[in-house]
Amino acid sequence: MKSVPFSVASRLVGDAAVIYPKGYLNNLSGESLVKECGIYIGRGITKIVVNFSETDLINSIGISLLLQIIEDLKNIKGTICCTNMSKFLRDTFKMLGLIQYMVVFPVESDALKYLKSGKV
Amino acid sequence: MPSNAIPAEDFLNREHELHYLKGLSALKGKALGGNVFLEGARGMGKTELLKQLHRALFREDHAVPFYYSFKTANLKGGYFARDYFTRFVRQYLSFVKKDPAIADNVAEPLQRLMPAIAALGLYGLIDCIEDFQAHVKNNDFYGQLIAAISAPVVAAQKSGKPVIVMLDDFDAAEQLFESSQGDAHGLISLFGESMQNRLCPHVMTGSAGALEAVFTDHSLLGMTERMRLGPLPEDLAAQLFRTHLATLKITCAPDVRLAFLSLLRGNPLYIRNLAKAAWKMQKKGLTEKDLVECYVFEVSEGETAFYWSSVFSRYVQNPTKRKAMVKLLMHAIENGRVQDRGRLSMVSGLGEAETAAILDAIDTSGIIRDENAVFQDFIRALYMKEIDGSKPSDVREKIESRYLSESEKEESRFELVIPMNANAELVVAKAVEQIGRNINLDDDFLNHLQLALIEVCINAIEHSGSYEKKIFLKFITRPDKLEIIVKNSGRPFSLDSLTEIPVEEKLRMGMKRGWGFKLVYSIMDSVKVERVGDRTRVILTKEINKDKEVHP
Repeated sequence: MKSVPFSVASRLVGDAAVIYPKGYLNNLSGESLVKECGIYIGRGITKIVVNFSETDLINSIGISLLLQIIEDLKNIKGTICCTNMSKFLRDTFKMLGLIQYMVVFPVESDALKYLKSGKV
Repeated sequence: MPSNAIPAEDFLNREHELHYLKGLSALKGKALGGNVFLEGARGMGKTELLKQLHRALFREDHAVPFYYSFKTANLKGGYFARDYFTRFVRQYLSFVKKDPAIADNVAEPLQRLMPAIAALGLYGLIDCIEDFQAHVKNNDFYGQLIAAISAPVVAAQKSGKPVIVMLDDFDAAEQLFESSQGDAHGLISLFGESMQNRLCPHVMTGSAGALEAVFTDHSLLGMTERMRLGPLPEDLAAQLFRTHLATLKITCAPDVRLAFLSLLRGNPLYIRNLAKAAWKMQKKGLTEKDLVECYVFEVSEGETAFYWSSVFSRYVQNPTKRKAMVKLLMHAIENGRVQDRGRLSMVSGLGEAETAAILDAIDTSGIIRDENAVFQDFIRALYMKEIDGSKPSDVREKIESRYLSESEKEESRFELVIPMNANAELVVAKAVEQIGRNINLDDDFLNHLQLALIEVCINAIEHSGSYEKKIFLKFITRPDKLEIIVKNSGRPFSLDSLTEIPVEEKLRMGMKRGWGFKLVYSIMDSVKVERVGDRTRVILTKEINKDKEVHP
């Protein structure tokens, strides 16, 4: 656990937005993640990649806010890809039975390739 | 009230005594028996036996039961006479009409019962009432007392139906007074006359020491036999405990042997209180360790402690004397007896005369006559709280350590208090990370452990409404187990309130929250939620198998 203050960065790669949440994903940070994704969705982006390489800890409120993003994208027939998840994060989503609602890739480039070609 | 007896089927192992007492009026009528003094350690079920006797007699018709408790009686003579008399009249009428509500309704004035009494043709009772009221009108103190005490005899003689008089904690009658305490010694002897009557057997409970002083009249002594109520045998004690648990819907862990119950020495009051403590602490799947914990709660803060405290208050009201009494009792417990009285004033911190008076009160009360481990632990707890000024949690811990087996004793322990502030749970996560590293837990499991703890803390922060806004955490590591205890004040929380909703359903209904305890359950081996006093306590445990990696 690195105890870095939460921050969220993002970039646009083609027609996909890549989001980088960093630190502890809880209620406050989860809100800024939702907000960041919301900005892209508002601009018509329907493909979002969340790169978790810098996310060291998450709590159930953070998880619920991630679900909010999944739902928002579902409503516009969009896609969310999760990448660079630690074993801990993957196990946590599996425990809750949520992994089936997201497309998971080991690394960001795989997700971007998938979103471009539509193939895994 | 005699009508609040426990169900007859839960009243174990007293059939012989009950049968004997039920036949007492017939025995006394034939001069084969007389009055009975029920003896037994406190909590052994003397009061309950009287209540069961009352209930049994009430259902039959051969003798009228009259129960009176001196425990809560106002001992100022005039008040006592009125109370004793009106209770007798109500219970008599209640018996004749077979309506327990009449006895229980203490608010209804006697005058209102007169039409019912007249309609039943209980003229003997009417004579008693008129006689008593005449004494009240004339302000005749002794007349009132004698009329009240002899009312059962008068009613029995006029109707020909025996009255069995049950006097609970009868030794307290020695304190009866006219207008100020101690101004009229010996009023208790007024009972002597009615005790000699053939139609009125008396069954009494109380301290043996005090009662010996009452029976100075040899003819009275000859008519009174002692009946000793012993402890329940171990198997029946365990059966009674399991019955109480079943009533409270508490289960025992499969391997629990209830060996710890032997400490209670078959005392039904302690057994019942222990079961109730388990219920109050929201225990489920009771283990031997839980039993120890419930017991310690009982002797330090529970009903057993309250019971003994109230016994104390009867003998010493003054706080300074109470402290001195605690010191003396602690001294006696540590030394196995009360030593040379002369030197004990150094222990009590009071003068020799005051110390002697307290020692006399201890003797009279009979509280250290039997080696009673429960009472001794109550005194230890009281000493730590009132003399040492220890915190209740420290008191509990110290007493618990006397009973926990070596393997259950803590290997190492860390404590942490966090405020209910944003991100305070991260401090906990950081702490558990280091504690986990100290016992070589793998990193992946540590992350999960952090998550479980974060969830429990968030739950407390969000839902407890705690007034002190603090969370108390204790991390206990043993070679084979990690135990984390999270405590907070505020609204009770129960796992029963959580309902498992399938993920699809949750998402369909837009329910994005409520994952916390699902995670905690998945990560930990055992999750218990209990209530201790005004605090909710969550106990998380994880078995540590040194040969294998620990996984959620």
